Formats: sequence, C-alpha cells, structure tokens
Amino acid sequence: MSFEELEHTADVRIRVLAKSREELFISAANAMFGILYPGECSIRSEKIVLVDGENAEELLWEFLSELLFISEVESFVVCETTVQFTKGGLTGLIRGEPFERNRHGGGREIKGVSYSGLFIRQEGAEFNCEIIFDI
Amino acid sequence: MLQGINKVGMHEWEVPVGYIPDMRVSGRLFLSDELGVTLEEGAARQLANVATLPGIIGHAFGMPDIHWGYGFPIGGVAAFSEEEGVISPGGVGFDINCGVRLITTPLRLRDLGDRESIIQKLYESVPTGVGSKGAFRLSGSALDDILALGSTWAIKEGYGIAEDAVRCEEGGFMKEAFPDGVSEKARKRGIPQCGTLGSGNHFLELQVVSDIRDEETAKTFGIEEGTVCCMIHCGSRGLGHQVCTDHLKSLEKASTRYGIKLSDRQLACAPLTSPEGNAYFGAMAAAANYAWANRQIITHQVRILFESAFGIAYKEMPLIYDVAHNVAKWEEHTVNEKLQRVCVHRKGATRAFGPGRPELPDIYRKTGQPVIIPGSMGTASYLLAGTETAMMKTFGSTCHGAGRVSSRKDAKKSVRGAAISSELKKRGIIVKAPSGDAIAEEAPEMYKSSDEVVRVVHEAGLSRIVVQLMPLGVIKG
Repeated sequence: MSFEELEHTADVRIRVLAKSREELFISAANAMFGILYPGECSIRSEKIVLVDGENAEELLWEFLSELLFISEVESFVVCETTVQFTKGGLTGLIRGEPFERNRHGGGREIKGVSYSGLFIRQEGAEFNCEIIFDI
Repeated sequence: MLQGINKVGMHEWEVPVGYIPDMRVSGRLFLSDELGVTLEEGAARQLANVATLPGIIGHAFGMPDIHWGYGFPIGGVAAFSEEEGVISPGGVGFDINCGVRLITTPLRLRDLGDRESIIQKLYESVPTGVGSKGAFRLSGSALDDILALGSTWAIKEGYGIAEDAVRCEEGGFMKEAFPDGVSEKARKRGIPQCGTLGSGNHFLELQVVSDIRDEETAKTFGIEEGTVCCMIHCGSRGLGHQVCTDHLKSLEKASTRYGIKLSDRQLACAPLTSPEGNAYFGAMAAAANYAWANRQIITHQVRILFESAFGIAYKEMPLIYDVAHNVAKWEEHTVNEKLQRVCVHRKGATRAFGPGRPELPDIYRKTGQPVIIPGSMGTASYLLAGTETAMMKTFGSTCHGAGRVSSRKDAKKSVRGAAISSELKKRGIIVKAPSGDAIAEEAPEMYKSSDEVVRVVHEAGLSRIVVQLMPLGVIKG
C-alpha cells in the first residue's frame, strides 16, 4: 500500500499503487489526510461514510470529496480509513479525533479533488491511479 | 522559447492555430525573453486547449505569470460569446473570487514600533491555516444575505464604510448571484469560515510604499511614499471550493450532452445559454460574493486592531481597491468595432479596465482602475493602473502575481521554512505561519520575479506601474 507525490506546478499530484481496489481507496484517503494533517493522530471516535458512484473513478472522487467535506465541517482529523464496496457504492469507516490547532495544525488546505484528472488502471493484480488535489 | 510559438511583438507571442488540433483561435502570450525560458510545455498546451472551446472570441490569452494549472493555465484569460460560448469551472478555479485588496494607513515606518509585535497581533486576530474558524458565527439567513450581497452585506452590518463597496469590482457583489443554487454542503463549509484567510498562497502582508513611479495617479489612488499599507489575499474558502466541486460532475456530463469536443476533460463546460451553465454561473457568483464579504470582514479586523494599536481612526485606513483574480463575468467589450456582451474568464488574471469605463468609481474614471499585483513572499508588490491597450488587446486583463516556476514538491525538497524565515528576518521581514512547509512552498525562489512580470505588463501596455511596495511582515495560512 503506497503513494508518491508527482510533479505539478500549482497543485499536489499523487500516484497511488495498491494490490486491491480497497487498498487503493484507503491509500488515496491516507495521502489526502497526510497533506491536511501531517502531525500525530489518535483514534478517539469513528464515523461512517456512504457514497455512490457510476464507475470506479466517480466513486473514488465522491469518496475523497465526502471525506474532505466531513473532515472540514466536523473538524475531524482522520487517522485510519477502511472501506467495503457495496452494490453501486461503498461504506467507509473513518477513525480519528477532533481537530486541535496545536496538535493538528500546520498542514495544507485542500480546496478540492480534481474530477477530470482522475484515472484508475488495473495492471494484472495491481491497481494504480493518479489524483490531483487542488491546494 | 518552445518550438512552434512565434514572436509577434515586443513581449508578445503567438500560439498558432494548429499548435494542437481543433483550435478555433490562436493563443497570445505576453512574455519577455527571460520569462519565455520558464514557459512550461504543459502551460502552453493548456492555453491551446482553451482556444478549442466553442464561442471563444479573439484569442486565448496567457499573462506573463502563466503556469500549469487545472483546465486553463493559471494566468489564462478567455472571452466567450453570449450565444455560442461556454462557461467552465476550469477557467475559474476551485477558489472562486480569490482576490487581493490594498488598504492604506497614515502610519510611517517609525510609527510601527516593534514590527514583530504587530505581526504577532495580526496573526492572533485573523484566523489562518487548516482548521481555522472565524470569530463571526453566521446564521443561515445571514449567509443568504452574504451570498446575495457580498461586501455590501458586511458594510451594512458595520464591518466597513460605504466607500469600501464602491472600491471593489462589481461594487462588491455580482448581481447574477443565485444563493438557492449554493448546496447545503457548501453552506455548512461557509458558515464557520467567514473572516478567515485559509492556507496555501493566501496571506496578509504589511508593506511600505517604497517607490512612486507615477505621482499624479498615486495621488488619485491616495497613496504616499513611505506610508504603511496592508495587502490581503484570500478567497471564498470552503464554500467556494464546494461550489466548484458540486458543479464539476454536472458540467462534465453537460459537455457530453451538448456534444462539446474537449481536448482536455479538465475543461468540462456547458453553453452559457444552458441550464447547467446558468446553474454554475449563479452559484459561482454567490461564492464570489462570499469572498468579497470575507475580505471585507478581515479588513475590519485589521482596522480595529490598528485603531487600538496605533491610535488612528477607522476612516484613516481607506481601501484603495479590491480585485478578483479567479472569476467569470459578463462584461461589455468592443469586438469587430461593435460593443458586445461577453463572458470573460480570468483564471489567475486581473481585470485592468482603462480610463473612461463606466464600471469604475468616479475617482478612478480618469486614471483607469487600480490593479494590485502581489509579489511572492519577501519580494516587491505593485500597484498599477488599467489601460486602454488592455481594453483593446486582452479584454481589459493583466497578470495577477509572480507566478510559480517550481512545484510544491520541489519546494519542500530544496528549501527549509525555518531557514527562509530567518533569512527574511535578517532583512527585517517578519513571517508568521503555522508550519515550516507552509513557508517553504511559498519561498521566493519558487516564483518568477514579480519585478520582471510587472515590467512585461507595463512595457506591453496591459497596465502601467504606479507604485512599488516592499514587504515588512506577513502572516500566512
């Protein structure tokens, strides 16, 4: 399960590599929260996220956009994510704690997840995708 | 310069039709030879992609601060016809109505006292960074008013003076705003964040007027050499980001529905006459209004702080002007010798209306509008004036800042925030930010030279330099 940052002048572009679709979604979420909250994180509570999408890319985009939204409006720092695919969508479980400026501050705000730059590829047993976070 | 791009004038280059397939018009780049070396192939291609969009008029324009963005290049401008043109979030950006304003004060350097102390106080008064919330808790109905009325709402509530709204583009609000088109999610993000700077390249900077290049215009603008000014750069926060997110998918689907052939999916768009295009325009305008209210509330916080810190009066800190640099607007321009209503997209570009334009407040009608161009951290910023040449050449547009040359990834590899902070401190510039990375990403060497970018727009006639300002201290998100 891994991700790496690629070149982009204005934004943050990442490539995620994974052995399964679940891992791909989890790593993408980890990459996003790593940008937002680079510091420590302890699990104190959890939330459930439900999203739908017409295809794998749309589902990933909906998932990341929803996590971004929840994290911002509920001031919730996510340290761990799990996903379970359902018919036409997914159920995500996010675990973390409320945002505290002195412990979680100093990250970079993500304005949004670019919809059109997002592709998921499957090569043999490996999944990979590129995502642009607008920051 | 990249192969296939031709010089057509001093600082002016053509990206010819055929540079990529399906271009409807050519591209025009404004670059010196020096800046030409930094032009990324990806940015030139993005400019050419814009030239393929339906209803584009004249050229796709790239300003000297052009760099690789999402959809449009940053520093990109395009005007579209009312009947055949399109609207695209890729030509506006996630941060709708990100913009800059400049406030003057009667203070001189010696009046500031300990610079570190005033910067610290500003850092404590204006919320910055990830997770920051404003001191103002809005009700749902107040948010509706903000979305409809922008900075005029803030002023009515006592966060400013009447003259402030006059000195914003559009009088501080876009009348086309459709608050009901702003989703519940966007509203939830917007309610706690009004009056916050955000992170990334957003900042609040104290500056001193270091050089006056045009005495008469400077006098009209009300700015004097040696005085301290405050520049505020921020946008529509999570509300604007959500409005963009909400419409990306519907506009991508609309592109297919209306048979628009896209050379890059990031340019997803809809006809200006379509329901999808209208829905995005109305929500975008409402988010733009939120951004004006946001900058107005931050202005109020600064004025209140300065009143108590320096014993000066609120009205001694007038706003010179407020410019939007991520927005699409309806404007009237002369096309083929006829006045025509067009939709101008400016993505990382500034309106630079010249003398005589009816949209300008009376005081600036003779000079052209003030154009505010921030430098990168630690470098000069400029106040310029809009020109007749900009009206004729670029739909009244100019650059918006220094423009990145390096990726954020490189920034963190090559420079350390702490080292930059201490280097700037040696030069008397105080930087306050929540983290070293936030400083490293915005390090001056990650940007083109603002001096060079501004020299090019001045010499190309797209705006003329009035005043140079040097930084004293900055707070960042």
